Amino acid sequence: VNLRRTVDLFGQAGFDVVAITDHVVNGESTYGKVANRFKFSLNKGNFDAYFSQIREEGKRALEKYGLLVIPGVEITKSSLSSNMSAHFLLIDIKEFIPASWNYEKIFLEAKKQDALIIACHPHHTSELMVIDTLYLWNNRQKYARYIDAWEIANRDDVFNVISLKKYPYIAGSDFHRVRHLYSWKTMLNCEKEISAIKQCIRYNRGVAITLFRNGVPF
Amino acid sequence: MEFHFNSKRKVNMEIFWIISGLTIIGLIGFGLQVFAIHSYTKTTRRLGEEQDSIETFPPISIIKPLSGLDDNLFDNLESFCRQDYPKYEILFSIQDMNDPTYRVVENVKKRFPEKEISILVERCNEGLNPKVNNMLPAYRQARYPYILVSDSNVMVDQDYLRRIIQHMQDPKVGLVTNLIRGVGAKTIGSLFENLQLNSFILGNVCFLKKFFNISCVVGKSMLMRRCDLEAIGGLRAFKDVLAEDHFIGENIKKKGQEVILSNYMISNVNEYWGLKRFLNRHLRWGKMRWKILGYKYFTELIENPVLLSLPCLLFEGPSTRALILIASVSLAKGIGDFYIGEKISAQLHPLAYLLSPLKDLLMGMVWFMSIANDTVVWRGKQYLIGENTALFPYLQKGVWTWRDRFADRIRARIA
Repeated sequence: VNLRRTVDLFGQAGFDVVAITDHVVNGESTYGKVANRFKFSLNKGNFDAYFSQIREEGKRALEKYGLLVIPGVEITKSSLSSNMSAHFLLIDIKEFIPASWNYEKIFLEAKKQDALIIACHPHHTSELMVIDTLYLWNNRQKYARYIDAWEIANRDDVFNVISLKKYPYIAGSDFHRVRHLYSWKTMLNCEKEISAIKQCIRYNRGVAITLFRNGVPF
Repeated sequence: MEFHFNSKRKVNMEIFWIISGLTIIGLIGFGLQVFAIHSYTKTTRRLGEEQDSIETFPPISIIKPLSGLDDNLFDNLESFCRQDYPKYEILFSIQDMNDPTYRVVENVKKRFPEKEISILVERCNEGLNPKVNNMLPAYRQARYPYILVSDSNVMVDQDYLRRIIQHMQDPKVGLVTNLIRGVGAKTIGSLFENLQLNSFILGNVCFLKKFFNISCVVGKSMLMRRCDLEAIGGLRAFKDVLAEDHFIGENIKKKGQEVILSNYMISNVNEYWGLKRFLNRHLRWGKMRWKILGYKYFTELIENPVLLSLPCLLFEGPSTRALILIASVSLAKGIGDFYIGEKISAQLHPLAYLLSPLKDLLMGMVWFMSIANDTVVWRGKQYLIGENTALFPYLQKGVWTWRDRFADRIRARIA
């Protein structure tokens, strides 16, 4: 789903805020090489164009739907082993951060840019054709201090481990197809403003998750 | 032995020619539908030019029953707020505060503070028809002498109200309804939906108007005087029928007033439909037509030349002439649909019309299934439909309980 259509879908559905986070794939793995070769990944060269496109769409979305669009990326460290794979969002970053850097370096750079760090689908999912991304969860003692929130729900999956560990939580939609609009979403009790949203997620007060459904079970 | 073989061949030959004859009748019927659409849309511009000179614009109450997020909902609703019309109110009617449409209408209302927009949230269970239930609170609140019932999935141009109100200058006119085109398909389900709306539904509506002067009432847009609607019992009188739009039109006609099919075309935006939703809607509509038309429903088979041409495969096998017949009928149907699409600006890719014969085959299946049982599922609720689309609660009793349990078990297995 392209950016314009994504913005329209969320705007038409009455959402207040959406974060656009395209993938930045690490170039070392086979998966990453393929993604980079076929331009499925953001890189330093196309990052500025990506950002300006989001900014333009953001202006349109705010004017037309009152929808706040926050730019970000999904750092995608994929490998054939689920224990070595990790995906995490950097929301409201200002400059490009390559996925090939090590975890600490990426986290520190993201903190420097005051970006929000969110661990995506950190536990086993119900997807059969997708490799789980367990690296951050398996190494949580080491990395939890950098992570602002963990995805507690993604599409149809709910990760109860996040709740058990009492980590700060957020829902994510992992939006790749139109039908993914109807999935777990987050409700935040804060002003519709980027800094307030980031603060609300970091402090993790007034955060609720809800399963967004259309209500027309035809 | 040879005699037997020859006689069988002769019988097959005869059946082939009968099937070909029926298919050609079907194609002629389709050709007449295309002609009806052509001539009806041609008069649109002429009428439009004439109508600009009329200057009386009485206030209108627009009732919008909402349930769930339709494709393009925000823009659809916004198009009604942008009407170039002196005085009108919009009543958004929702059954449940938790319906996701609530957020959307709130945004729309915020965006047009100068417009008379009301959001009514009321759970109304007066009847069995969920759409009428949804409209009743808004109908009670409506303040103006003209009532426009308009579905949430339609989008209109700025001059829509100005154009349709013109017909109401004549006191003999009791109801104005509109031609509808399906636009915006982005998935296979919505593509089929729009092809069906633009070819079968629009074709039949125009055909009946052109050749039999029958105006079919389509609930997506119905403009009435409040006093006329009250005289036939108000919306409440139609709370227990499935085809409330059809019966409102029939009662207006019985009252001695005319039902006008305005040639002002409105858009039904269907973008992201799944195949299941498409089939379910047309199954419901098929059952509705079966209950209203009775034996006349069988004439619909003739209107599906692609389906009619198929049985020759059964009798002939994949012979050259059978394949030529099917291919040429499918081609003719695709070209006809393409012409209609271009004529009404349906915004479909030309290659999409290649799927038109496949859609017709699916609709053929739906045609048979519509006769097979009397239950419908609408907005998540199941009903039994009786004569004249009267709705009855679907009670799980006796053998039905077992049928449902069996179906649930299969569904659970598949899931």
